[in-house]
Amino acid sequence: MIRQKRRFRRRVKVCRFTVEKINYIDYKDVDLLREYTPTNGKILPRRVTGTRPIFQHKLARAIKRARHMALLPYVGS
Amino acid sequence: MPLYELGVIIDPEIEPEAETATLDRLEAIITGAGGEMVDKDARGRRQLAYPIRKRNYGVYHFWKFEVGGDALQKLNFEMRTADAVMRFLVLNLDRELRRKRKMDRKQEAKVAAKAAKRRASAEAEAAADVAEGAS
Repeated sequence: MIRQKRRFRRRVKVCRFTVEKINYIDYKDVDLLREYTPTNGKILPRRVTGTRPIFQHKLARAIKRARHMALLPYVGS
Repeated sequence: MPLYELGVIIDPEIEPEAETATLDRLEAIITGAGGEMVDKDARGRRQLAYPIRKRNYGVYHFWKFEVGGDALQKLNFEMRTADAVMRFLVLNLDRELRRKRKMDRKQEAKVAAKAAKRRASAEAEAAADVAEGAS
């Protein structure tokens, strides 16, 4: 009922790293990093994912390291 | 001695002897400088996210080791000059994990504080119940 009144219901975004208490983001953990890089290879902004700033910094660094080691693409297809 | 993490991508089309020789040389630099191997993780052949030196595959090795002195410089030089090594990355894991340990400690303290508070309130409640029963 409420949903019909307000057509856009905002999805609650949560920081995965805070919830799961992942305090170190390893660049080798490709499956985790994949969730934050869409197929175009860019890093998703925290405005989209809801990641806390500290973890966004760590995430960005891990993704860049993974790119250097050819685990993630610089440019996607 | 600090703990380091090393990742190397070896050329897949090189002879296996050359690959093992290169890896042995790298290990010899570490152990020769009084270092200690902590963990060796050979991930094997894996497709690269983008071609490096016109190769689409790479052989991944991840090591953890403790070493001090100028062994790291030698290691970097060796990897830069070795033909078999396509890419490498050395991280100071102590420095990487310092922040993690700090955050872990903070979280533990938070949990402990919460538990203590809960215990205190439970005790207060129990005391109140006892007082009520007496009156």
